[in-house]
Amino acid sequence: MASIASTDVASASETAPVTGSDRMSRTTIVMLAVVAMVLAIVPYAINERFGYHIAIIVCFAAIGACSLHLIIRTGHVSLCHSAFVGVGAYVSAYVAVTLGFPFLGGLVAGTLASALLALLIGPIILRLTGKYFVLITFLLGEILRMVFMDWQSVTGGANGFNDIPAPAPVFANPKWFYLLALGAAAFCIAVCGRILSSEIGRFVNAIRESETLAECVGVPVIRTKILIFVIACAFAGFAGSLMAHYARYISPPNFGPIESLNLVIMNVIGGMNTLIGPLIGAFFLVLVPELLRDYVQLQHVIFGIVLIVVMAFMPGGMASLKDVYALMTRRSGRKS
Amino acid sequence: MTALLEVKDLSRSFDGLKAVSGLNFTVSSGDIFGIIGPNGAGKTTAVNLVSGVIKPTSGAVQFDGKDVTAKSPHELAAIGLARTFQATTVFGTRTVAENCRRGGYLTRYPGFLSAFFGVGRTVAMASDSEKRIGEVLDWLDLSRVRDTVAGDLPYGAQKTLGMAISLMTAPKLLMLDEPVAGLSAAEADNVRDTIKKVRDRGISVVVIDHNMRFMAGLCDRILVMHHGQELAHGAPEDVLRDPKVIEAYLGRNYAKA
Repeated sequence: MASIASTDVASASETAPVTGSDRMSRTTIVMLAVVAMVLAIVPYAINERFGYHIAIIVCFAAIGACSLHLIIRTGHVSLCHSAFVGVGAYVSAYVAVTLGFPFLGGLVAGTLASALLALLIGPIILRLTGKYFVLITFLLGEILRMVFMDWQSVTGGANGFNDIPAPAPVFANPKWFYLLALGAAAFCIAVCGRILSSEIGRFVNAIRESETLAECVGVPVIRTKILIFVIACAFAGFAGSLMAHYARYISPPNFGPIESLNLVIMNVIGGMNTLIGPLIGAFFLVLVPELLRDYVQLQHVIFGIVLIVVMAFMPGGMASLKDVYALMTRRSGRKS
Repeated sequence: MTALLEVKDLSRSFDGLKAVSGLNFTVSSGDIFGIIGPNGAGKTTAVNLVSGVIKPTSGAVQFDGKDVTAKSPHELAAIGLARTFQATTVFGTRTVAENCRRGGYLTRYPGFLSAFFGVGRTVAMASDSEKRIGEVLDWLDLSRVRDTVAGDLPYGAQKTLGMAISLMTAPKLLMLDEPVAGLSAAEADNVRDTIKKVRDRGISVVVIDHNMRFMAGLCDRILVMHHGQELAHGAPEDVLRDPKVIEAYLGRNYAKA
């Protein structure tokens, strides 16, 4: 290649690095900043304990969905992501309660435990593709849930893990915990966004779109996938630790297959091609059930309809609403 | 001329079917080496074995003085052995330029932490890579379609883009799997000129095809494969006159005539 580089450089030297299609546009970043600011203010406007609670749950869901989004971008749909949330939650609770470490020790231990498990399992399961990966992660999630259920001396079994302390006395007030959760979510989203918008994201997309071609131009496919999987699971564990210290009580159903599936649905409804997708999905899947609280029977019906409509008309999820709108206005414009 | 690629007694069977058996050849640096043979002769399997896409049952591959038998494709790409695919393999939903950026992983990706924080050699590597993209596209006559989505290109241009992606890895040896399959005669002539240009820049080339006329005008040496084995081996004019080769291609009657 040196011979290529030495010739004909002048003609191309003016070509400035063009930003790839994977880069986050400036408007996206500004939009995110505005959203974050609004989020920081809204609960104060509501000023109601329940409002904080919902907002905190949205933050946890956002961390879960965005970290799962990283794995999805490598081309794998994991059905055990919330089990990794559970690993973080249980390890954090164990370290903080049983071993008596402060919250920060639990947070670090929970995050690392989840990452370590991903590092051990990733090299094996990430060689599987498509439906086989989905199936194996589903089973893995079930195995982990059974461990939470049956390892009673550590996890408390079906009775759950009780009396987990708040991160600090001040965070017993949901108003302050909300800021903690919002900060954690912002940090996670920022890291995921940076990964996807950097050169790393370029090659993650390359792996998803054509694994063989990526491998043949020198991308270490398996190693890259493992790295992303470990980072994503570390964030899952991080979220789990925060959840444990917020709810003060955890039990196996909190981390079961339904929860994992919800994280996947957040990505599907919101959109799997952009990081905004899982964020929209997290809002949607947490807020809508709360708004429909008085119509419990209707919840599932409405959810089903929304899911079908989104998948049929917006293959890019709600994040692609903008494109759908543009298409519709263009059409009506042509008519007039 | 030193041996860049040495293949020794390479074999691969699939459940008893010997797709490739006892294959030997040497590619010197600066050579255009051709592998021809009828459909099912094991040409693509041979390239897949050398490029690490599938692992050999037995035999050895030496590249640039190192034993590279059964190495992964990404390890081979890193030491300068690149390949294209028989089916057009490009990132269909991305622009031509973005396809090339992805091909440039080896010279563009500065490592996870550097890339994450955008520090170290990240910026320098990216701008070097953009320069190289300009050169490779000029060179393969793709500059005009730089911002076209790869999937919208005509078939021939997609094949050329496949070559551009491989060239972005800065290879010493480029292996082309059926670069003219499905192309018109005029397009095939263009591809032949392009391959010669690649060689003139100091990159050795291995070409696979079954189009004799195309190969005769291109290759320095040719290996003819039939049923997974070597049938003939040597300069194009000798090989193509060999009765065994004519028989394999056209049938026994033609060989006698």
